Amino acid sequence: MSNPVKTVKVTVDNQVIEAPEGATLLQAMLDAGLDIPHYCYHPKLSIDGSCRLCQVKIDGMPKLQISCNTQVRDGMVVHAADPEVEMTRKGVLELLLLNHPLDCPICDKAGECWLQNFSMRFGARYARTIDTRRKRGKRLDIGERILLDQERCILCRRCVRFCREISKSNELFVFSHGDKSVLDIYDKRLDNDYSMNVADVCPVGALETKDFHHRMRVWFLEDTASVCPSCSNGCNIMISSARGKIWRLAPRRNDEVNDTWMCDAGRLNYKFVGDNTRLRAPMVAGEGGPAEAGWDEALKRAAGAIADFVKRNGARTLGAFASPHLTNEENFRFGEMLRAIGAGRTAMAVPRGRQDDFLIKAEKAANARGVRELGLAPGDDDGLEAMLRACESGEIRGLYVCGGDLLEVGQKERVDAILGKLDLLIVQDLAMRPRYDRAAVTLPATTFAEKEGTFTNHAGRVQRIQRAIATPPGWRTDGEIFTALMNELSDRTERFELESVWAAMAGDGSRFAGLAFDKSGRKARRSTPLDRRRRARRLTFHRVKVHSRMAA
Amino acid sequence: MAVQVVKVRRPAATFSSANPWIAILKGLWVSIRHFFGNLGLFLRGRQDFAIHFPEQRLVQPPALRGMPVLAQMADGKERCVACGLCEWACPTSCITIYPAETADEVERYPEIFDIDMSRCMFCGLCEEACPEEAIIMSRQIEIASYSRRGSLWSKADLLVPVDQLKTRTDYIRRNYER
Repeated sequence: MSNPVKTVKVTVDNQVIEAPEGATLLQAMLDAGLDIPHYCYHPKLSIDGSCRLCQVKIDGMPKLQISCNTQVRDGMVVHAADPEVEMTRKGVLELLLLNHPLDCPICDKAGECWLQNFSMRFGARYARTIDTRRKRGKRLDIGERILLDQERCILCRRCVRFCREISKSNELFVFSHGDKSVLDIYDKRLDNDYSMNVADVCPVGALETKDFHHRMRVWFLEDTASVCPSCSNGCNIMISSARGKIWRLAPRRNDEVNDTWMCDAGRLNYKFVGDNTRLRAPMVAGEGGPAEAGWDEALKRAAGAIADFVKRNGARTLGAFASPHLTNEENFRFGEMLRAIGAGRTAMAVPRGRQDDFLIKAEKAANARGVRELGLAPGDDDGLEAMLRACESGEIRGLYVCGGDLLEVGQKERVDAILGKLDLLIVQDLAMRPRYDRAAVTLPATTFAEKEGTFTNHAGRVQRIQRAIATPPGWRTDGEIFTALMNELSDRTERFELESVWAAMAGDGSRFAGLAFDKSGRKARRSTPLDRRRRARRLTFHRVKVHSRMAA
Repeated sequence: MAVQVVKVRRPAATFSSANPWIAILKGLWVSIRHFFGNLGLFLRGRQDFAIHFPEQRLVQPPALRGMPVLAQMADGKERCVACGLCEWACPTSCITIYPAETADEVERYPEIFDIDMSRCMFCGLCEEACPEEAIIMSRQIEIASYSRRGSLWSKADLLVPVDQLKTRTDYIRRNYER
């Protein structure tokens, strides 16, 4: 560090906090863990200063100052719990609630709403107004994926700044002045690739995603920190699940990867996890077509088929397609399994799509780089062309295919011809696909939300994914399938445990060598159901007490 | 973190809170009253003191918490907006709600609203949590069934017209300071 950032000391409520020079006072206080209410301030957006809630008293200043627009100064003395500050907050919240519809029971934000939280903690709890509340547009369809409720809006303009500064598409504006101010779109609908982030930045329920609209209450959701599987950018996400189902994906802050944003396509790409067409059991080819079979039986059949094939044709004629959707650990074990068999060729098919210069990357799979670094996809095109040629020339007569990406890379006739003349086809995929119907064994794959592991993003950053949804009892994840087959086909007796796989990967001299497998932070939960229950009980108890006092 | 002294405001002691034996006497008085009342009736020749259920039924007081039901408005729709607070408040997790959207002004209604009566413990927390006065503890206490499946009450089974619940809604308005 040639130019170290100078730190300054600020005293807040008799507590000395340190902050880098030039930081805003609000950010410094938030970083120090102080509880300062604010709406319009967002660390990744420009400063607006419109909500007036973060006001604090600063010695030497004649009036209260908004801390989001005040820079820290060495020796600054700040009072954030002063009666004057508390009264101001109460007043600001009362004004914000003046025309708020208070339709929390039907608002999707209820439970994680900043207006609810701050009103309960810093507000007056009771309304003094007797006038009717202002009527505005509700449930306005302002975009493909977003609904606007102008009554709930508190005009913090976070969404306006998001559209101006981050998506750079300028759809949302605040129109009119003063009491008549209203958020709306003007000449184009809110249809940009990142539009759903406005629902995240919205501190109230004014902007809601249609996808989550009236579907689940947020207090039932359990958040699991994970990584978006939809492209190679590897945006950090939270999987919100309840009742064994994913209800939404939301971005998780990581300044190195995605700041606090994610694209709409990634956010909406979770429904395949709970899809009805997914395989529930392995399918084994029989006389009347593929039929469901037990896991052990199917794995025995797969191992037997591979052993037979190797005996007839030699191990070098077996090829394998690694999947860019599987984790590093699974792909490492896949490589081990193929080495144990002595397979000839490996390749990878990566689905590709649109990209932009912000978050969306062309490779529509989370772990393509990880597969390459594990040596399973040699060459510029990940060995795809060479593999297809080898299949056509008869050099490769059997294929172990992970994932359905091979069917989506184009060259349909060519791939169909190859699949038609193979001696052995073993498929590991989420669902049965008509073009894979010649498979001797089809093993169900497991989605990103149902397993643990790591993905390597396009820049080489290795990131953890964690299990949010439980698999059915007796289920084998992809890594366990590879391990079982490897054990059957060689004299090894391995188990698929992340720590030991990771140790083997690190010992392999690969680029995983310097990385430590982080066991901590397994689950980033908002709170456990038990905590919530306890809180509920405390709340009820408190209310009973209040009643008895009223009666007394 | 410095030790903080929080002064809790306690309600001022009243005569009855300072003299707890008054409550004991009050409770005993109920037993004494019934004992001597029934004794008098017996001496005057009454033989049968039982209420012959199901031929005879007591009119239950409004404080009774029977089976939770859903208030049905005059247009036949439920008052419930599927906010999920009863589901959250329920200590036995016997309520299951799946919300859905309507074109009505209230936007939201429960597509599925199930109560597992075999799990319900009639605590009334759902009723207290409800912001819409939509789930009400009725005076219905005859809810036995021949199968476990029969204990699962769906929305259609739970709907009761609002005017039939008036006694209880008046009672909760009075008691919950609504």
